[in-house]
Amino acid sequence: MDPEELILLAADTARLVLESGGETYRAEDAAMDIISSQGGVEAECFATSTGVILSFSGPDGRVRSVVRRVKRRAMNLEKVARIDGIVEELRADAIDIDTAALRFGEAERIAGRSAAAAMGAAAVGTGFFALLFGGGWREALAAAAAGACLSALSRVMTRHRLPDFVINLCGGMLAALACLCARELGLIDDVDKAIIGVIMLLVPGVAITNAIRDTIAGDLVAGLARAADAFLAAAALSAGTGGAFGLWHLFGGSF
Amino acid sequence: MAAPILLSPPLAALVSAWAQPLYAAAATAGFAFLFGLGRKDATLAALGAAIGWAVYILAGALSDTASGALFAASVAVGLWSEAVALLRRRPATVYMIAGVIPLVPGGGMYYTMLASNEGNSWKAVELGLQTFSAAFAIAIGMAVASAAARLLEPGLRRRRKGNQLPRL
Repeated sequence: MDPEELILLAADTARLVLESGGETYRAEDAAMDIISSQGGVEAECFATSTGVILSFSGPDGRVRSVVRRVKRRAMNLEKVARIDGIVEELRADAIDIDTAALRFGEAERIAGRSAAAAMGAAAVGTGFFALLFGGGWREALAAAAAGACLSALSRVMTRHRLPDFVINLCGGMLAALACLCARELGLIDDVDKAIIGVIMLLVPGVAITNAIRDTIAGDLVAGLARAADAFLAAAALSAGTGGAFGLWHLFGGSF
Repeated sequence: MAAPILLSPPLAALVSAWAQPLYAAAATAGFAFLFGLGRKDATLAALGAAIGWAVYILAGALSDTASGALFAASVAVGLWSEAVALLRRRPATVYMIAGVIPLVPGGGMYYTMLASNEGNSWKAVELGLQTFSAAFAIAIGMAVASAAARLLEPGLRRRRKGNQLPRL
């Protein structure tokens, strides 16, 4: 593989790790390991949650560099694990770079969940979270129904390439309105527990935790970027749920 | 209040304490599936979440701060994830990200929003700080677990090239 192809492969791999929700250092290490496994020297990679900068010196002594932006992020831990395994094998010389390139391509093409499966999983997750946070069975069922709707909504909005801010805003609104309606109909008593269960799908709790982990690990810029992302998501979600409460009140609903 | 209750309060508390790790596991399994994990990995992550929640309940009974209990729980999730990762030869973060979800302060964020929506700024600031310190405690717990795993398993882990310090 010539050096140009190699650097593109390494940068795309780092981008894929970041897009799938892997840690910043994992993306950087993956890119640098791919290059050094092929005899590239002075490989340096700088990654944040929005992009990758990678450079290295080839065997001919010329310096090459490439920039990759990360625009879309969708948590897929299977991709992260798969890429980690391929890089590990490459480092151990168990496979050659062309095989690795093929398998990176396969990992990139791992399909996400189908709409129905995602809705089912979201319903299970949100329902049990409502139970865990102190709701009863009726709150859990309401949360599960709202969670399935929320999953479908965010899927549609993602497909239309709406920014995460808008998705969180509308998602928070949907969660709050659905649960308020359920209470108005007498289906549930404790609207808070149901709403918390539903918005677990959107709350950036993992993002905040990862931002702090990045910062502790020394990736300060990446940590700050992730923290900003998490803060914005929390703000959007708050505005959505708060707005829904406001609307509910405006149209004469009770709290 | 003479409300009819089927279980005496301590017994009811015990039952719900037993059920909670199961709820945490089921919820985590759903989220792990959403995050693309296969059946085996999702089950292992869910087990980690159950262990984490059990530790959270136990530590909550012993410690008087929520952050202390969250720290202990996330250390447990982190150690479980590292152990499973060694056995399955996959990165620990896969199990950690899914297993820690029940602990992340979603409720804290929601109540912060509710307080600021009611115009109660002091309460919102207080809840916001609590939420942040909860997230911080979880992150530190995970970092401590990873560091402990690096120290305990030096032979099984790849040594990083050069003289860089190991990542947490």
